[in-house]
Amino acid sequence: MSHKLFRLFSLVMIAVLLLTACAPAATQTQQPAASEPTQPPAAEPTKPPAQEPTKPPAAEKKVVINWWHISTAEEHKALWQTFADEYMAAHPNVDIQITVLENEAFKSKMTTVMQSGTPPDIFQSWGGGVMIEYAKAGLLRDITPELDANGGEWRNTFSPGALGVYAFEGRNYGVPWDMGMVGFWYNKALFAQAGIEKPPATWTELLDAVKKLKAAGITPIALGAGDKWPAMFWWAYLAVRLGGKDAFEAAYSRQGSFTDAPFVEAGKKLLELIALEPFQDGYLGATYGDQATLMGNGKAAMELMGQWAPAVQKDNSADKQGIGDNLGWFPFPMVEGGKGDPDDAFGGGNGFAIGKNAPPEAIDFVKYLTSVDCQVRLAKINVALPVVKGGEAGVSDPLLLMVQQGAAKAKYFQLYYDQALPPAVGSVVNDSVQGLFAGTLTPEEVAQAIEDSAAQELK
Amino acid sequence: MGVSMNRNGEGALPFRSTARSQHTLTVVLFLLPTFVLFIVFVVYPVLQSFYYSMFNWKGFGPAVDFVGLDNFKRILTDKAFMKAVGNTLNIVVLSLFIQLPLSLGLALMVGRDLPGKRFFRTIFFVPYVFSEVITAIMWMGLFNPDPDRGLINALIVLMGGKPQPWLGSPQMVMGCIFVVLTWKYFGFHMLLYMAGLQNIPREIEEAALIDGCSTGQMISYVTLPLLWGTIRTSIYLSVLGALQQFGLIWVMTKGGPVNASEVMSTYMYRYSFIRFWLGYGSAVAIVILLISLAFSIAYLRLVRQQDYLGGVS
Amino acid sequence: MSASSRILGASGRKTLSRAVQYFLLTLMSIYILVPIVILIFGSLKTRGQMYSHPYTPPIPPYWDNYIKILTSSIFWTMLKNSLIVTLAVTVAVLVICSLAAFVFARLDFRGKDLAFNFFTLGLMFPITIAILPVYLVIRQMSLTNSLLGIILVQTAFQLSGNILILRNFFASVPLELQDAAYIDGCTPFDFFRLILLPLARPALSAVASLTMVVSWNDLLVPLVLIDKETLWTLPLGTMQFQGQYGTDLALVAAFVSLSAVPAVIFYILAERHIVSGLTAGALKG
Repeated sequence: MSHKLFRLFSLVMIAVLLLTACAPAATQTQQPAASEPTQPPAAEPTKPPAQEPTKPPAAEKKVVINWWHISTAEEHKALWQTFADEYMAAHPNVDIQITVLENEAFKSKMTTVMQSGTPPDIFQSWGGGVMIEYAKAGLLRDITPELDANGGEWRNTFSPGALGVYAFEGRNYGVPWDMGMVGFWYNKALFAQAGIEKPPATWTELLDAVKKLKAAGITPIALGAGDKWPAMFWWAYLAVRLGGKDAFEAAYSRQGSFTDAPFVEAGKKLLELIALEPFQDGYLGATYGDQATLMGNGKAAMELMGQWAPAVQKDNSADKQGIGDNLGWFPFPMVEGGKGDPDDAFGGGNGFAIGKNAPPEAIDFVKYLTSVDCQVRLAKINVALPVVKGGEAGVSDPLLLMVQQGAAKAKYFQLYYDQALPPAVGSVVNDSVQGLFAGTLTPEEVAQAIEDSAAQELK
Repeated sequence: MGVSMNRNGEGALPFRSTARSQHTLTVVLFLLPTFVLFIVFVVYPVLQSFYYSMFNWKGFGPAVDFVGLDNFKRILTDKAFMKAVGNTLNIVVLSLFIQLPLSLGLALMVGRDLPGKRFFRTIFFVPYVFSEVITAIMWMGLFNPDPDRGLINALIVLMGGKPQPWLGSPQMVMGCIFVVLTWKYFGFHMLLYMAGLQNIPREIEEAALIDGCSTGQMISYVTLPLLWGTIRTSIYLSVLGALQQFGLIWVMTKGGPVNASEVMSTYMYRYSFIRFWLGYGSAVAIVILLISLAFSIAYLRLVRQQDYLGGVS
Repeated sequence: MSASSRILGASGRKTLSRAVQYFLLTLMSIYILVPIVILIFGSLKTRGQMYSHPYTPPIPPYWDNYIKILTSSIFWTMLKNSLIVTLAVTVAVLVICSLAAFVFARLDFRGKDLAFNFFTLGLMFPITIAILPVYLVIRQMSLTNSLLGIILVQTAFQLSGNILILRNFFASVPLELQDAAYIDGCTPFDFFRLILLPLARPALSAVASLTMVVSWNDLLVPLVLIDKETLWTLPLGTMQFQGQYGTDLALVAAFVSLSAVPAVIFYILAERHIVSGLTAGALKG
């Protein structure tokens, strides 16, 4: 008897499988074409009854906002949750559902949901190239009207440079909540030990400082070139100093080219530095974490990094204090003969983009997130440099204040190349600069590789 | 020895005619679940990718920019891809000639009557239990070039050597990766061999020993031929696994420094998800599929032929 | 060579070969254990110690990482989800694959080779690319944010390799057993269920172990299919300790060590069956 039962069981199982599988098999042919506008509304209504039997339809229909962020650090994550709770308390009709993802995981997941045409309502964005790709594909909601409402009430709270990072062709698809710039974080004690009196103000002085540090037996520079983007900072900042706003804008608008003199020259200058062997052993395979660890434990004299550097150094040090008061900051030195202004800044930050299906409540909530009050509270836990006027009241660290002011006074603010450019070009910049460090590509070849990619992507 | 002539189960007894319809029904019903899951989750994605591989498509919105076979043309002329193919083949060859013999040797040692075998068997499988990401993070720590942070360099310095850059060196990076791949995957193959060994009756081996064979002779003339079915499965899975190798390498080196450890899958990932060239990435996936398929067909044909000729298996 | 000297020589050789074997096994064990021991050391350190002295023994041990994880309710939720998914996938893979492997090993039909080659396709296509279409299918089935969705996808992608492994083992069961069974009036199905499956216990256990591990560690499928934290599986949990620019490696180490425990226990249970072996008597039928 029992084998009949067993056979019956297999049959039932097969039937179930077949049934569950046939439904999609029948509709899947329309997939590629249907992935655009009509789909989400069609897919939505079928979902709740199947998925959430535990929640009977509520008396009043709640507006659900899906919010994906990548702030996994404990304090920061908790603060975002607090903001959401506060907003929901004030707006009982709104239900904010938060998904916290780690950076890499977030990117993988974003790729899939974006390809399938269903972005979350609010999500982490760095602006620039990737956001522009989303915007071009119609996956984002244009929030320019909300920014401009009441005579630009919301817009005017932001510093314009930061807000511009989230705009494409004059329309905003997101807003920033953090913006800073890249500069040198250095160990004052080690500089003094090597007999360097003041932070270098020119490229030549920087090279001299490196030589002195080497002579004193100190690793001059920590670099995680295995992660690529920390290495890219060097080349890109040199290009900013050498070519200024004009060179980049010409190349970006295709009036000029990435093979123009400043971009080739940037590589040559960088080779001068690389020739001094200023980096720790094995830096080509090192990660940014390794870089921060060297700095945080006083084993290297300086690093070129963004506003988050002190926090990460502390996290990666034995006593969680980093190098304390020995930490100093100076802007990227001027390069002799460069066309850029010494005040020009290279950097970026974090923001939120708005998905195409976001309800108006989502935008209102983002407005709350970028209010002065919330900005001050964010700045107080040292996880962001405010982008809203008045937010700097929360910044207590004098070094971070220097960074914040540096970014604010820049006449020309250059977003990180790997974010300002389309993703394909940005990735080529990162990859080929690594080749320069490894000695497999010449400055001319680096410039050419970037130009080839730009020619294809920037039409 | 009845067992050895019957190991090839291909030609079963002809069924009695009354069982004919039942036979057909069995075949259909037994294959149905596999078939359904396959169509939905494997075949459909493959077809989908094949479709996208002919477009210049960034991954958002409908694919409209049809480019025919241009993506494939570009892949096959890209030096970085050729480098990736070379690195992948390196892994394949090293797996076959180092990893598998190692697994087999260990399985022979711990799959039989060695006292303490349980202990070894258990710890040898543990690396397979860790995910690729974790494995990568663990080994990155060991390979850290700073002797204060990386154990390997610390030991080298202790013995008076010079610290090495390991993952930071284009020359050493593939070797390092292979050490990690072996660490993680030999347990998989060892397990297969151990299970395979259970099908070999001890009496046959004992008889060989009594007949005057040395242990080595017994292994090469009795055990290995009887294990051949398992070995060929293991070879097959190892090669296909090596062709797909991705997670470990991506986390450890991202294919770097400068393509030095790029393999086919990291190349595909870079184009699909970092550069957002999903059409091109799909084409790379199809190329990987075709290479795997070519290997598979050639291999199955080869072992089939050996079965007929050798009659060992 | 007299019989006695041969035995002496054999036992002498045996001792020698034992010594060599133990030497090799010890070397191998060091290779295997060093990273794991360092992982466990790391899990008993503070974040800072982990970064500055990653490989030294943790003295005194810092238990807070484990306490922190074990006292968070989300860990237990994730453990439960992971167990559900892994057990379901393992059972599904065992049932579905043994059915298919039986057909390929023991029955003949037209187009068998073609069908078999077709089923090996799953070994040849990178899931990273397949994940988008898979996601679309799962969404159409309204199975996003459900464990069933993960189970279906993971099962599908584990079929190819395991059918291959099982087919090989089924094929190695002596034919005369099958003949005898048919003569006794068994149907193919009876043979499969009453004779083949019990005999293939080592292989089934091996397949179960391999399947379980892959499912247990899979990050991509749950990541893409699940939004709700309450449905997360353990691999997604490591994200909790990873930041945009820094990672709390000590906590990750503790989390990973804990996550590995159920999988190791499962393996130890399965291993007994893998090597329990067939008695020679069973083979003679």
